[in-house]
Amino acid sequence: MLEIKGLTKHFGGLTAVTEFDMSIYSGEVVGLIGPNGAGKTTMFNLITGFIPPTKGHILFEQVDITGKGTHAIAAKGIVRTFQQNAFLPDMTVLQNVLTSCYLHPKSGVWEAIFNTPGYRKKEQNALHHAMEIIEFLGLDSVSDELAQSLPHGYQRLIGIAIALSASPRLLLLDEPLAGMNANEVNETLVFINKIRSVGTTVLLVEHNMRAVMKICDRVIVINFGKKIAEGLPQEVKRNKDVIEAYLGVSEDAA
Amino acid sequence: MSKGASLIKPASYTALIVLLFLIPLFVKGAYFLHILIMAGIAVILTSSLRTIATTGQISLAHAGFMAIGAYTSALLVMKLDLSFWAAFPIGGISATLLALLVGYPFVRVKRVYFAMLTLFMGEVIRLTISEWRDLTHGTSGLLNIPPPNSIVIPGLLNIAFDSKVPYYYLILALVLISLLFLYRIDSSRVGRILLAIQQGDYVAESVGIHVTHFKVLALCVGCFFAGITGSFYAHYIKVLTPDSFGVLQAIYVVVYMVVGGRRRIYGAILGAFILTLLPEFFRILKEYQPFVFVGILLIITFFLPGGLADLPRLGASMLGRLKGPGVNHA
Repeated sequence: MLEIKGLTKHFGGLTAVTEFDMSIYSGEVVGLIGPNGAGKTTMFNLITGFIPPTKGHILFEQVDITGKGTHAIAAKGIVRTFQQNAFLPDMTVLQNVLTSCYLHPKSGVWEAIFNTPGYRKKEQNALHHAMEIIEFLGLDSVSDELAQSLPHGYQRLIGIAIALSASPRLLLLDEPLAGMNANEVNETLVFINKIRSVGTTVLLVEHNMRAVMKICDRVIVINFGKKIAEGLPQEVKRNKDVIEAYLGVSEDAA
Repeated sequence: MSKGASLIKPASYTALIVLLFLIPLFVKGAYFLHILIMAGIAVILTSSLRTIATTGQISLAHAGFMAIGAYTSALLVMKLDLSFWAAFPIGGISATLLALLVGYPFVRVKRVYFAMLTLFMGEVIRLTISEWRDLTHGTSGLLNIPPPNSIVIPGLLNIAFDSKVPYYYLILALVLISLLFLYRIDSSRVGRILLAIQQGDYVAESVGIHVTHFKVLALCVGCFFAGITGSFYAHYIKVLTPDSFGVLQAIYVVVYMVVGGRRRIYGAILGAFILTLLPEFFRILKEYQPFVFVGILLIITFFLPGGLADLPRLGASMLGRLKGPGVNHA
């Protein structure tokens, strides 16, 4: 589904990502892990077109999307969430999700301004789509609250709701579990499983190892911008390079 | 909402519009009509600036784009003998085209940097007009701009623009059409997208919204209305000098918008209306207009950041608090 070949990114003299190769297959949940500053978020930024790569290619469903704009990549079906809480603070949860349904269905500027029957039908569909996502994530009780007034756990869910409403085929989750308590972590894992069960492929960056090991089909380990290991969670866990480079030689790992 | 309540709003709007149409029947003083016409111009300028500002960018070139519309339309009528009714939309379109041209590079910068760029843009327009003497007569100005051609439907109608009254009806029609259009933008998904861009442009971009396109779209729409307002102004005032479109004018429009409140379109209407009428009733205010406006602006930003349009909501929540705790907290 997603194929990355020889991807390299320099920031001035600093090399954030070096000759990175990676493939993701349809229907998988893949974990991308690595220590802080390893280049995980840079990978996300590269895949979604927030920053252009220095070298290399990104292919999505056999189409080269290298250097395309973020909005164009989103239209192709790759949508990400953000590490920090990314939502529209001064809008209600419903407005957040409804705005993000921009692509599905897409309507023209003029038909919106002249309020044509076709536009009204599309608005109805968008509202329906938005409500489905809100119910799916259990946000229906707060759908009319301003996003900024909600507690952290809800705000993270809004971030996921926004990404989902763009109907992604490949969803990139950037530390979805950060700052969550054990209950919220479990709930979010259930959502991720549900998202995968409707056919969405997931690429996950996360520091919560227990969760990564539990939910991922495959794990890719990155350090200093290079891939150092790839495989099933159990394999990666035992990989010597990973333990040294990432987990360190700790009592747990030994 | 009960059926009765849902009828109150349309009914009160209709009443207000009817009242506005009836004003010339009661008011015979040309001066008062003149003030209302100028207020109408300010209302279109402010509410169209608000459309640009919805994306989080404040344009200080609005007076400049108004000048583009004004000079284009006046010169077309004077040099090429075009009818006002043809030159009028061309005034708007020329401002839109210029906005389209500078829009893509301009929207690459945000917030205060965008304001700075547009500030210079406005000045560039003004200076170009004052230096291009062959065409615009520079600072001595364009004089004797003809009024709009009479509207004649044989046997039925003959409206000549020889008093303030037809101008009043023309600007009233323009205000209503512009507001309807801008309101439609605001309440449709386009408005939602523009607001989303202000609230988090990277979020908007990440769900497939072409942020640059929409920012430029907002700029073009705003400048179109600035352009047609300029065209109306030219043929109403009949004299154009570049100094009518300086930085101060551009800043006034921003002040109207902020004082009225940016969140709602009626904030822009309120701000423009009140701040254009106020100096007329207190002559002293007019002499020190910049100082007074800065004072009002400071008071508003400190004590009423949501602008005048926020008053009803604040009032309601104050009432709720007076009624006792737990009454009005949804």
